[in-house]
Amino acid sequence: MPHYHTWEEFARAAEKLYLTDPMKVRVVLKYRHCDGNLCIKVTDNAVCLQYKTDQAQDVKKIEKLHGKLMRLMVSKETHSGSMETD
Amino acid sequence: MVLLENDSFLTELTRLFQKCRTSGSVVITLKKYDGRTKPAPRKGHTESFEPADNKCLIRASEGKKKISTVVSTKEVIKFQMAYSNLLRAHMDGLKKKDKKSKSKKTKATQ
Repeated sequence: MPHYHTWEEFARAAEKLYLTDPMKVRVVLKYRHCDGNLCIKVTDNAVCLQYKTDQAQDVKKIEKLHGKLMRLMVSKETHSGSMETD
Repeated sequence: MVLLENDSFLTELTRLFQKCRTSGSVVITLKKYDGRTKPAPRKGHTESFEPADNKCLIRASEGKKKISTVVSTKEVIKFQMAYSNLLRAHMDGLKKKDKKSKSKKTKATQ
């Protein structure tokens, strides 16, 4: 259950893990203002990737990754010709 | 677990962050959602259920209070912008890395 020390590695591993099985993977974000730290975890219940930080510069990176994964989740996998509107 | 509309969720999430400024943690979970509202059938009954592919579930909690919302493709752009702004605005208690230490902002416990 690796704890990553570099953001680059974590982001790459997280995205890779998500793409192997999108339905299984969840992203957990834990923020403690009183302790001044932020922890992000990406897991599929078998593998668990974690990254912790207390640096303000990482907030932007984490929030970007979060947004990226969110968009991956709502985008349809198969790019079919017609877009269905309900 | 309270399921809210996207806008209400963002409002409540703001409140969660404000509440936890002095103690406690805010936990946010993000997961792909296929729209099922019933538990998976046990004995191979034919699944009369079409999994949707374009939604995700977002949950937030401060230990006791729990909220959640479902975001779909149509709402994601708007939601994600507001959500990013919210995170950046509230997760400001972390250390800044400037070595010059101009004016040390002490954590204002409002």
